[in-house]
Amino acid sequence: MKQAILEIESLRKYYGRHENQTKALDGISFKVLPGEFLGIMGASGSGKSTLLNCIATVTRPTDGHILMGGVEVGALKGSKLADYRGKEIGYLFQNFELLDNLTGQENILLPIGIHGVTEKEGNKRLRELAEYFEITDVMNKFPSQMSGGQKQRVATARALILSPQIILADEPTGALDSKNARMLMEKLAGLNRMQQSTILMVTHDSNAASFCSRILFIQDGVIFHELRRKVPNETQQLFYERILAVIAQLGGGSANVL
Amino acid sequence: MFFDLVRRNSKRNRRENGLFFSSLLAAIVAFYIILSLPNQAVMGFLKEMESGAVDRLLSLIPAFYAVTLFMLFFLIYFASRYQLERRSHELGMYLMMGMRRSKLFFMLLAEDLWSSLVSIFVGIPVAVLFSEVISLVTARVVGIGILGQQSTFSLSAVLWTMAGFLLIKLAAFLLLSGKFASTEIGTLLSATPEGAKKQRPAMLYRIALVIGALLLVTAYILAISGEAWYSLAAMGMTLSMGIAGTLLLFFGLRTVLDTLAKRQTGKSGLGVFTFRQLQENVIGQPISLAVSSLLILGALCCFGYGVSMTLYYGSDDTHTLDYTFQDAENPLVIPEKLKNLGLDDCFESLFDMRIGHILSEDDNEGEMLGMNEVLALIEQEPDSSVKSDLLGEYNNLNNPYIISLSGYNQLLAAAGEPPIMLNNNQAAIYGYAAFTNREKAELINRVLSQKPEVVVNGERLQLSGTLQTRNPVTDRSITLYFALIVPDETFDRLADKSYTHYWNAILSHQFVQENSGLMQAIQQVNQKLDTTGIHYESYLQSMGRQLFYQVSSSYLTLYLAVIFLIIANTVIGIQFLTQQRKTGRRYQTLVRLGSHYEALCLSAKHQIQWLFALPAVVAAVGSLFGVRALFSGFLSPDMAENIPGLYRIAFVILFLLCMVEYGYMLAVTRASSKYILTQMEANREE
Repeated sequence: MKQAILEIESLRKYYGRHENQTKALDGISFKVLPGEFLGIMGASGSGKSTLLNCIATVTRPTDGHILMGGVEVGALKGSKLADYRGKEIGYLFQNFELLDNLTGQENILLPIGIHGVTEKEGNKRLRELAEYFEITDVMNKFPSQMSGGQKQRVATARALILSPQIILADEPTGALDSKNARMLMEKLAGLNRMQQSTILMVTHDSNAASFCSRILFIQDGVIFHELRRKVPNETQQLFYERILAVIAQLGGGSANVL
Repeated sequence: MFFDLVRRNSKRNRRENGLFFSSLLAAIVAFYIILSLPNQAVMGFLKEMESGAVDRLLSLIPAFYAVTLFMLFFLIYFASRYQLERRSHELGMYLMMGMRRSKLFFMLLAEDLWSSLVSIFVGIPVAVLFSEVISLVTARVVGIGILGQQSTFSLSAVLWTMAGFLLIKLAAFLLLSGKFASTEIGTLLSATPEGAKKQRPAMLYRIALVIGALLLVTAYILAISGEAWYSLAAMGMTLSMGIAGTLLLFFGLRTVLDTLAKRQTGKSGLGVFTFRQLQENVIGQPISLAVSSLLILGALCCFGYGVSMTLYYGSDDTHTLDYTFQDAENPLVIPEKLKNLGLDDCFESLFDMRIGHILSEDDNEGEMLGMNEVLALIEQEPDSSVKSDLLGEYNNLNNPYIISLSGYNQLLAAAGEPPIMLNNNQAAIYGYAAFTNREKAELINRVLSQKPEVVVNGERLQLSGTLQTRNPVTDRSITLYFALIVPDETFDRLADKSYTHYWNAILSHQFVQENSGLMQAIQQVNQKLDTTGIHYESYLQSMGRQLFYQVSSSYLTLYLAVIFLIIANTVIGIQFLTQQRKTGRRYQTLVRLGSHYEALCLSAKHQIQWLFALPAVVAAVGSLFGVRALFSGFLSPDMAENIPGLYRIAFVILFLLCMVEYGYMLAVTRASSKYILTQMEANREE
């Protein structure tokens, strides 16, 4: 069996105290293997964003362990923590978080400047990514001159520029129309398929989730169910239908999901 | 509840915008200091002897007050606008929760009023203290008696300060709330209310940059060549070119920053981010940056010019005589009278300086002095403006004064200079120091070295020695532009019998020391003299006049300079901090991309340095020309000669101002680092 890239062990995150306490995560454990495309689904407030934030070191967990490549993330400090954020993980935001006063190219190359990678290496990787994500013609444009889809693809290229070990995507299709959402998911899935990129994606969108190879469903801070796409036989459509079926069970209907 | 909210909001505003609050305090101090100027000890002292000039100066105070009000209005309007913009989301929320606009208006008004009251409460005592210290220090420096020192506190100054301050605060508030009332809630709630500014073709900005630079250079050339001073129109033209040039320069500056940002792409560090942030700042507020730059320029010119002039007036060391006594009816009894007053011990020396017109026998004054030989020698000199001036001057001498040599030699002896040696057929020339610059003196001395002869009332006298410029009397008893110094025998022969005896006196060193300084020693003697009918002039008047120039030029120019500097730097500082808060999310994104705290602070520091340096450098370059232009426009010939010396002083001042700028930069950098620290811990997203 392959060595897991990311290991989550009994992760807990509680907000508040005593009777007002909210258990956003209440003892979650799972592993992400290299080359896996893992989806995490759940209702609003189920704790999925908290989980992602804990992994991204935005939020400090109350208890439990997060191991990235065998290293305890919670113990990282100072420059190691900054390197972890920039080099080990690539973060994809729901609302892109591009710096709107920087051009596409400048946005993508930003992590290179931050982490002091050589310019030559960066430029080579930039060309590859721009071509793959079909954003070569917006390289010199500012975000205000791009469509939503282009913005998210530029943001994805930025997350990938330093070839991180894992991509953490927080509702990446949340702010996109269906056409652009599909295009983005195809690109991410292609990356996963061809370059064995590891992706951990939190989403509401069953369509987007159907691109994953495995899906964890979270409810009230615990893992409630797990789905695996049966490769190679199961089509994406069939997988999608299975996802819908689970969502229907989850909390008794879609009203609680969306 | 309502007032509790008002108090809390206003406290938060003060804390979040400390730079602005300190500027408000500075504004109050400035108002009070200018308004309490008539109460300053040195002004009271000067009023006794130069009342006309002091009154004229004091009558300017309302004008200065009005100018200050106007300038500070600009600052307050700017700063309040930033503050409102920063709170727009919060204000939108109040409206969403159903607060009526009128109530919101009153809430903001009450907050503003509360803030103003706090500023006044803190500012007035500081201002009074400050004014008192200034008064004491100046009194000490110029050596006025501190015993009679009165408090500078002025109730009317306090009231006018409060009135002026509240007036501009209210005016700014009303203007802003008018704008605010017409804004939709949606716009208020959106995170970035301004949005991206529309960009025009890059070529336009490049052209603006070039034209701006050209206009500035032209303005500098006009100012420094002195052409700008020929007429009001020329001056207006120069000033408008300078202002338009600065505006265009800052308008076009974005292209330079764009290039700088592009150069940083792919390089290590946050260079691209730094320059893009800076560019956004420049694009967003080119006018306020240009105005700040002009204000700094104004401050530098005021400082450089003011301090140079002050030191120049202060550096006059030609003073020798302390008193000149006159008694038209019985001049020879003066020593006796002084002795009777018991004043003879106070004086080190007392001597008679006889000055009179040449005796005219046939009432034909035009031929009293023949200077043909002198004029011919001057004609042989190479052409220069000094030469033509001197020819004009000497051609028009008809009946000059003559001075007796014995008196003048005693004066020279008192000044520690060698006496003039003349035989009965010789004379020396005296010229008024303030009208004689070095070039002129050198020319006259060259002529004198050839020993030309002059004809005085038919008698030939050979000119000897060098040009004498030491004033034969104290202050303004008599002002001689030209005189011949002749031996006593010749004087007795040539002078009109109605000549005047000027009894010159110098206070003894011991007496001056006993009375802790010349000022007080003279005041002491004057008090005694005033009880008698002796007509006298003392050095105090002349000192008073010098002091007046010193005080008025330093007070007003330094005052304006400080106001200008405060406004310019506060506007720049607030502009940066506001933009930083508005774009706080970008800093958060950078943190999530793995940026270190130190790297972010460094980027912010660079932004701050650039943002302060851009207007300051443009202003500093301008000020080098500006101060020079002020000198060429305002200085009299003998001062103009000392330009290198004045320049050295101006440079020191520029250096000091750089330190002030640096201080502001440090303060803003500290505020920025503190803010970035709050952005390091990303908030939980709902």
